[in-house]
This record gives sequence, C-alpha cells and structure tokens, in this order.
Amino acid sequence: MEFKELDPILHSQLRLAVMSLLISVREAEFTFLKEKTNSTAGNLSVQINKLKDAGYIEVTKQFSNNYPQTICKVTKKGIESFEAYVTALQTYMNPGG
Amino acid sequence: MQPENFSPKDSLQLIDQMINQAKNRFSENGFLYLLWGWLILFCSIGHFVLLKLKLVAHPEVIWASCWLAVIFQVIYLVKTKKKETVKTYSENIINYIWISFGICMFIMSFILGKSEGWDKVYSLFLMLYGTPTFMSGIVMQFKPLKTGGIICWGLAIISTFILPEYGLLLLAAAMVAAWIVPGYLLRKKYNQQNKPLQNL
Repeated sequence: MEFKELDPILHSQLRLAVMSLLISVREAEFTFLKEKTNSTAGNLSVQINKLKDAGYIEVTKQFSNNYPQTICKVTKKGIESFEAYVTALQTYMNPGG
Repeated sequence: MQPENFSPKDSLQLIDQMINQAKNRFSENGFLYLLWGWLILFCSIGHFVLLKLKLVAHPEVIWASCWLAVIFQVIYLVKTKKKETVKTYSENIINYIWISFGICMFIMSFILGKSEGWDKVYSLFLMLYGTPTFMSGIVMQFKPLKTGGIICWGLAIISTFILPEYGLLLLAAAMVAAWIVPGYLLRKKYNQQNKPLQNL
C-alpha cells in the first residue's frame, strides 16, 4: 500500500483536536473547545481561523447576555477532509495492508 | 504544539482522545427527572390519601401543582440554554423525544376527557412514561433509565388487574424506578464528568 499524503491543515495537533471535537458534536462554542483542548485563547483563535479559511468549519459570532459568543460547526467539506485524513493515516499504520 | 514530533500514531491517539472527550461529556444533571419524579410521586400519593380519607370533594385538584412545575421548567430551560457551550446530536434527539411525550400526554388527556375513559388513565400514563424514559436511556446509553422505562410498561400491565384508584400507587412506584433513582444516578455521573486529559 502506498503512503498517502497527510492534509497539512489537519496534521497539526490543535487543529486536529478541534476537528475531532467538532466531528462529534452538532456545534460548539469557543469556550468549550478551549476547555477540552486546554489551549490558549490566542492560539486557538489562530487555528480556528485557519480551519475556517480552508472551509472545514463555519464560525458564527453572536451576542448572548451582552457577551460575545463564537460558535463553531464542522462543514461537509470538513467532514470529507477529516475522513480522507483518517484513511491516509491508516496507510501509515498498516503499510503492509 | 510540536508538529515535528507529531507522528501518524500520535494523530490517531489524539483523534481518539478528543472524540472520547466529546462522547463522554455528560450534560444531563438529572434535575428535571428529579423535579418531575418527586412532584408526581407527591401528587399521586397525595391524591390517593385524599381519595381514601374523603377529605375533599375533588382530590384530583392536587395535580394542578404540575402547572407550576411547567412554568418553573420553562424558566429553568431558558436559563440553562444560555449557559450551554456545546450542542450534541444526542441531546437534540432526547429533547425531541420529551417534546413528543409532552404532546402525547396533552392529546391523551384530551381524548380521555372526551371519551370519559378516566378509569384507564393510570395504565395509559404508565405506558406513556415508559417510552421517553426507555428511549432516553437508549440514546444516553444509561441503563437505569432503560430499566425504569421497562418497569413503567410492566406496571402499566399490572394496573389493568387492580382497581383504578390503586393505579395511583403504581404511578408513585413508577416515579421512583423511572425518574427518581435514575435522576440521582444521573446527577452523580454528571458530577464525575471528565476533565481535559492533557495539555496541547
């Protein structure tokens, strides 16, 4: 089996962590992602923007009780890319298969 | 963040870890199960006692207290919704199961009122209580709720063999098995919720 190229957008710890969380839920707020990944707000914000620019997630900003809220949701393109990334990873894990 | 040390094996471990973080997140604190469980237990035993002691002309008025709980629940749900930081597919399904249950309860009360079939009311209530309880247990993969749902159905069948007024006691027993015990177990599980596993 040939080694497939790993998507550079997803092959980064924090971006992959965010995508793995968003794949599992309907939508999540920035604070949830920050808590679960235990990352800094600045770094998380940068990585979320990269995922958004790649079209992998949708980001909605709104206000709730006068506080700004950033809600993230995985897109169809994001799900497809994530599945392709996992398939590519499997070629590294089972090179003989 | 150290991408240079990030191997395919690390990637799979991270995906697994994060999916489990989201999956194991337990948002149900059992509060509404406890609220309704205790309220219906109180109302059914209260109704039975008032009926037996013949203290009032209409012992069924005790159920009017449920309207206060409905108002309280609406306020509670609006407040908790504002605090939610994540929405999951399973929570969405469970919400709609309970909305359907509420609608069915309303329609059934309406039908029974029209047909004067109140002697079957507790059997039908017990049957209806079982469905959302069992389904929520399936979606949450929470055995006490599944068991509670099955107990409600069993009690619904038993209730057809006894005098209708004793159905009130079966209703009280169903509340303990289906909502009160699972409610406390849900609260316990909620309090033991997972914390972040590692620093990224």
